Amino acid sequence: MNDKFTPNIIGFLCNWCSYTGADLAGTSRMKIPPSLKTIRVMCSGRIDPLFVLESFIKGADGVMMMGCHPGDCHYQKGNYNARRRYVMLNSIFDTLGLEKKRIGLWWVSASEATRFAKVTNEYTKEIEKLGPNPTSKEIFL
Amino acid sequence: MNKKIGVYVCECGPNIPERIDIDKVIEELSSMGEVKTVKRYSLLCSNDGKKFLKEDIEKEELTHVVVAACSPKEHENTFMKVCEEAGMNPYLFQMVNIREQCAWMIPDKEEATSKAIKYIKAGVHRVLFHDPLKQKELEINVDVLVIGGGISGIEASLSLAGPNRKIHLVEKTDSLGGMAGKLSQILPHQGSKIKLVKEKIEQVENNENIHVYTSSDVKEVRGFLGNFEAVVKSNQENKEGIEEEIKVGAVVLATGFEMFDLKENPVYGYGEIENVVSALEFEEMIHSEKIELKNGKKPKSVALVHCAGRKEKGYCSKVCCLYTLKFAHYLKDNLPDVDVKELYMDLCLPHKQDQSYFDQAKEKGVEFIRMDEVEKIKKSGDKIEVEYRNNDKADKVSVDMVVIAPAMVPSQDTSHLAELLNLPLDKSGFFKELHEMLDPVATPMEGVYITGCALGPRNIPESMTQSHATSGKILSSLIPGRKVKPEVKVSEIKEDLCTGCQTCLSVCFYGAISYDPFKGVSVVNEAICRGCGSCVGSCPSGAIRSKHFTYYQLYQEVMEALR
Repeated sequence: MNDKFTPNIIGFLCNWCSYTGADLAGTSRMKIPPSLKTIRVMCSGRIDPLFVLESFIKGADGVMMMGCHPGDCHYQKGNYNARRRYVMLNSIFDTLGLEKKRIGLWWVSASEATRFAKVTNEYTKEIEKLGPNPTSKEIFL
Repeated sequence: MNKKIGVYVCECGPNIPERIDIDKVIEELSSMGEVKTVKRYSLLCSNDGKKFLKEDIEKEELTHVVVAACSPKEHENTFMKVCEEAGMNPYLFQMVNIREQCAWMIPDKEEATSKAIKYIKAGVHRVLFHDPLKQKELEINVDVLVIGGGISGIEASLSLAGPNRKIHLVEKTDSLGGMAGKLSQILPHQGSKIKLVKEKIEQVENNENIHVYTSSDVKEVRGFLGNFEAVVKSNQENKEGIEEEIKVGAVVLATGFEMFDLKENPVYGYGEIENVVSALEFEEMIHSEKIELKNGKKPKSVALVHCAGRKEKGYCSKVCCLYTLKFAHYLKDNLPDVDVKELYMDLCLPHKQDQSYFDQAKEKGVEFIRMDEVEKIKKSGDKIEVEYRNNDKADKVSVDMVVIAPAMVPSQDTSHLAELLNLPLDKSGFFKELHEMLDPVATPMEGVYITGCALGPRNIPESMTQSHATSGKILSSLIPGRKVKPEVKVSEIKEDLCTGCQTCLSVCFYGAISYDPFKGVSVVNEAICRGCGSCVGSCPSGAIRSKHFTYYQLYQEVMEALR
């Protein structure tokens, strides 16, 4: 059992900024951890808190929420909704027995491939340090 | 109906097979229940590739298609079109990104392959939950709503109105003309008295394609380019409270400016000291040709104080220097013995005629006094004293009359309209243009344009030019007969699940959701919804579905990623 722990990370990326930024990271051949699975949503405001909780219930070790920078949202202010939901989620993580670090919100623009690479790599390392999701398959909604 | 899914893996030349073992992908995918066929192709987006895809969909009688290739941002539309040509509903298609976000991101072939398999499996599970959506086409409305009946709004209306295009011009006061209509003279070096505004108002009144709503407010505006709905509420005496719903294709905001309230700063003594008047009041005096003190005598000396409110507001209002020069000329021409002093911080004389206009004022004997700040305006016997500071040196002038030029500030309606239309304001409270230099009359809301002093202080010719620019923008985008395709991936609310809490109303930035008080549920206006899905995440009872990004569809992606 000396296998290195490979985390399972879900990334919810908004279509207009972050997903495009992720594409650009690929086009620029930047190294992104394979543990990250991206899911495209139209706006970070679409990221239902339920998806985040569901991800943890089903065993995700971390969830990344990414949207456009404040003021750049394609839908004007959807990212502010995402931010509120992130804060709300953050506040219940203690109760759930999850470390707050397991969920994060980043603003990544369509041109910020370098930033995308940086935050995904750093976050993955962080989760590797934290180890597996302690509540995986233990909490139910 | 049996679901038959076809999975097509595009090689994208050498790009994908370099890092992804496509044979392994095909082997894994073939074992999935509903997958009828898994095929690879060298370059699916080429003409040959599209032909192959179309023929194969028809041959295999597929109901759903998954293409694993580049980013959906690249070729999703291409393949959706192919599906449509093959007789499928294009929304029963899912694109999986195995190039940018797999092959090009992960150097290790094994890791990249296993991630690609997960992505494609997620795509297959997801596509099973897709609904056949239909693209609607809406006729565009070419009429325009112009808010604000000042010179900018009038000019925009006149240049837009035509036999095919009705203009709804809404003015909050009881008459057109706005601030420009209150001016006695447009700067003398431009010639005559303010006939121009009167002539323009007549043209508007005689134009059968312009409908003027005076004493009216715009209460609601919703929609997008080509399809706006607005509610105009009348405050006229006999029609008070009557609301009229109008449909237009574009909105022009020409809400103009107001004067900085001089009572806000007590140093000016405005409203307390007799014969301290604002520039607008002085305009009225010129208009009635009665430059008199309160006691009926002619003033023997007048101080023209510039830049009132400039420090408070943090910007130069650009036009005050010229109109105070106009006042100085008028005084010198009409009251030959009068002593005129101009107290200024900086002189703003940017146009080509301005310098000579200033020189002529000097020749006529106008005294120009530079100051840093007015310290106090106070009464001293029969005279009024203006105390000011220049380079830390205090000084004062003693005069019979003081005319103060206040800063131009956004009109009261600005913030209300910004809220209605979700438009950004700048730090001074004026509307913010999409780009100050490259797109100076557009806003982030397509179909909403701004002109004139609603954007910040500017003179009449600049406002007119901007109105023409707005008209150009509108005329080139709202062409009669053209159709717009509204967003397909909109939200819908299930009535039986909706509790009527109206949380969604508060997160929708487009005003696309309204509350139906009879049914007790919220309703989405599909023509206005842009499909961001913010409402979906906010709904506590899970009654809202974001089409093509539904809970079940995204859930499949989450599940597959964690399997």
